[in-house]
Amino acid sequence: MTKPTVIETRKVTKTYNVNAAPVPALVDISFAAEENSFVSLVGPSGCGKSTLLQILAGLIPSSSGEVLVDGMPVRKPMPDKIAVVFQDATLLPWKTVIQNIEFPLEVQKVPPRERRECARAMLSLVGLSDFAERYPHELSGGMRQRVSIARGLAQNPRIILMDEPFGALDEQTRLKMGNELLHIWSRTNKTIFLITHSLTEALFLSDTVLVMSQRPGRIVDVIKTALPRPRTYDMIGSREFGEARNRIWELIGGDEPTAAERVGL
Amino acid sequence: MSRPTLVRLIVIVAILVVWESVRELNLIGPLLLASPSEIGAAFAKSWPQFLTAFQITLVEIVAALAIALVLGVSVGLIAGSTVFMSMVSGPLLVSLFAVPLVTWYPLFMVWFGIGGASKIAYGVVSGFFPVAINTMNGIRNFDQQYVMYGRAIGCSPLQIVARILFPLALPSIIAGLRIGVALVIIGVIVAEMLGSLRGIGYLITSYRNLYEIGSVYLGILLSVLCALLANLGLSALERHFTRWREMQMTQ
Amino acid sequence: MYFVASQSMLKARVIITQIAVIVAILAAWESAVDAHWIAADILPPPSTVMVTLGGLLRSMDFLANAGDTLVRVLAAFAIGAPLALLVGFIMGENITIGKSFSPIFNLVLAVPQSIFLPIFALVFGLGFTEKLMFGITHVFFVVAVSTMAAVHQVSHAHVIAARSFGATRLRIWLSIYLPAMAPHVITGLRVGMIFNIIGILLAEMYASQSGLGMLLLRWSESYEVNQLMAATIFISVVTILINEAMRLWEAGVGRWQSARMAE
Repeated sequence: MTKPTVIETRKVTKTYNVNAAPVPALVDISFAAEENSFVSLVGPSGCGKSTLLQILAGLIPSSSGEVLVDGMPVRKPMPDKIAVVFQDATLLPWKTVIQNIEFPLEVQKVPPRERRECARAMLSLVGLSDFAERYPHELSGGMRQRVSIARGLAQNPRIILMDEPFGALDEQTRLKMGNELLHIWSRTNKTIFLITHSLTEALFLSDTVLVMSQRPGRIVDVIKTALPRPRTYDMIGSREFGEARNRIWELIGGDEPTAAERVGL
Repeated sequence: MSRPTLVRLIVIVAILVVWESVRELNLIGPLLLASPSEIGAAFAKSWPQFLTAFQITLVEIVAALAIALVLGVSVGLIAGSTVFMSMVSGPLLVSLFAVPLVTWYPLFMVWFGIGGASKIAYGVVSGFFPVAINTMNGIRNFDQQYVMYGRAIGCSPLQIVARILFPLALPSIIAGLRIGVALVIIGVIVAEMLGSLRGIGYLITSYRNLYEIGSVYLGILLSVLCALLANLGLSALERHFTRWREMQMTQ
Repeated sequence: MYFVASQSMLKARVIITQIAVIVAILAAWESAVDAHWIAADILPPPSTVMVTLGGLLRSMDFLANAGDTLVRVLAAFAIGAPLALLVGFIMGENITIGKSFSPIFNLVLAVPQSIFLPIFALVFGLGFTEKLMFGITHVFFVVAVSTMAAVHQVSHAHVIAARSFGATRLRIWLSIYLPAMAPHVITGLRVGMIFNIIGILLAEMYASQSGLGMLLLRWSESYEVNQLMAATIFISVVTILINEAMRLWEAGVGRWQSARMAE
């Protein structure tokens, strides 16, 4: 049974014009993600991952090609369909946790009582109900990111785009948060598109891993992770996992000559 | 009472004593320096005039502050709204701030007359720059992601400015207001000294012409106290609003 | 995320925009008066201002007064700045003196010193001395405080290291103190000069027989708007130029600072 495609890109290209010379940032990005799937995008720094995310979110236009969400072209932000979670939670520091979650609903003119109910529900989903009246600065990095996810869920989107959401966290918190995210995902059944530079994270969390090359970014491989769910940590040590990791590593890192090679040794 | 406070208190008392005795012993003549007791006497004698004058000056100050605040914040929000805008406007504003604004007052007197309007205009210009510059910097000094987030959830440009940029910039705005308020208060009073028929500044100048030294010193003392109190009040306000920001920055 | 070819491209765009803004304002001003939206006898257009200014710069009267102002400004700076540098240095080096006196200095700086003008008039009269002293105090406090802060900027670690290498006092002073202090001291000097100019002009406006400030007030009273506008803009432009020149100096001297701060 094929599930409906939630998000699809067709030959998306982004070129910047600098000094009248075109500088390609993204070339021919095409992929599709179906409902309830977890898709990750990995690539080296500077390959254009964040640019792609901004295009997917409707924040910047593509130079050519299309992005379709539920079959509709994305030309500007679509908050009822697309939610974005940034690397630094970007919570509004003067608002309490619950007010932060309500904010996107306020902007969409949802009436107060509905807003409050929805926000409370999302907050309990991420396990932070006790912290509703706290301020962002009182929470740890991981907790703030959870609030940010709750905030995104409150929009009831079709897809959640995440730009290196755990990048600012330490290794341990990162692993825990990854697990949390899977837990939340399984309970909400949203489609998630996660950008990360951690190969482990991508393979561990997702159904599909898109591998992006160095700039100009293009998708060089699509890996379907065959691991069963629910995922456990010991899977990271398995042979299949290691092989997949190596494969990706070569695809994105293999091209770059080492210093020794460059000198001619 | 802590040691430094005690020391400072002793120093203040010592200064007052020395000050009084310098006059008592006539080390400095009565036409140059007024002793604390002479200032006190002047206060007892002329406080009704000072009160009336203060009311007039206060109106001018408040009006100038309000206009400077609105203008300064608006310009600052626009100037800081994008990176490019701030790169263009920042240096322009900062360079203009160096201008001796007092030299524009004669022009203001031609344009607005010798009454309150010219004082208010001068006060507005005095207070405008710190508020505008600080507002602009307040918006600049944070992650552009806030704006991106606002756009992603469907905020109109106006909503982004009012509901995201403005609260973010608020601590800086208050800091700018704190710097500007002293400039406005003293600016208005000095403008009154230069050409006016009413107000504290006018009072100070007329007492100087009459050689009522005690009253001159009293007037200046009141002006300084006014500026200092305003500064203190706004500092407290600034601390209140900065709490969440400091914490956030250190994370 | 922004793709820019180079920093200099961006800087060029910025400068061009700034010039365009200024030109646009001048053009709008000129045409507003031209179209009689604003009366020329209230707000003379840029063209009239330029012509008037040209005339002023050739008039002996104006030049003499400008000269008087210049003399006062320079004299006040020449006396106030070195004194402040010395005092500031002492306050920076000697913790006790610094802690005792800096609150007083900071208190003075918290309030615009313009308010104290009547006292200066009382104590020094209305002549050259009054203006000189007024200017000196404007320079003094800000330069002293900046210098004190500059001394605190000097890395103690560097000084100790240098001493352990056997460097002489002079050497330490030249190669460690001076470079570390220079940017902050120059900032103080720049602000001090601006305050100084403000103070001298204010004193001239308050009561004076000569000087640019006096001219401004005279023209204001006789409604000679053209001269008033021309002179006001002249003073503003000159002050901006002085400020920018000193800022360039400041930036040039401080170029190594950001690298150091990264330590």
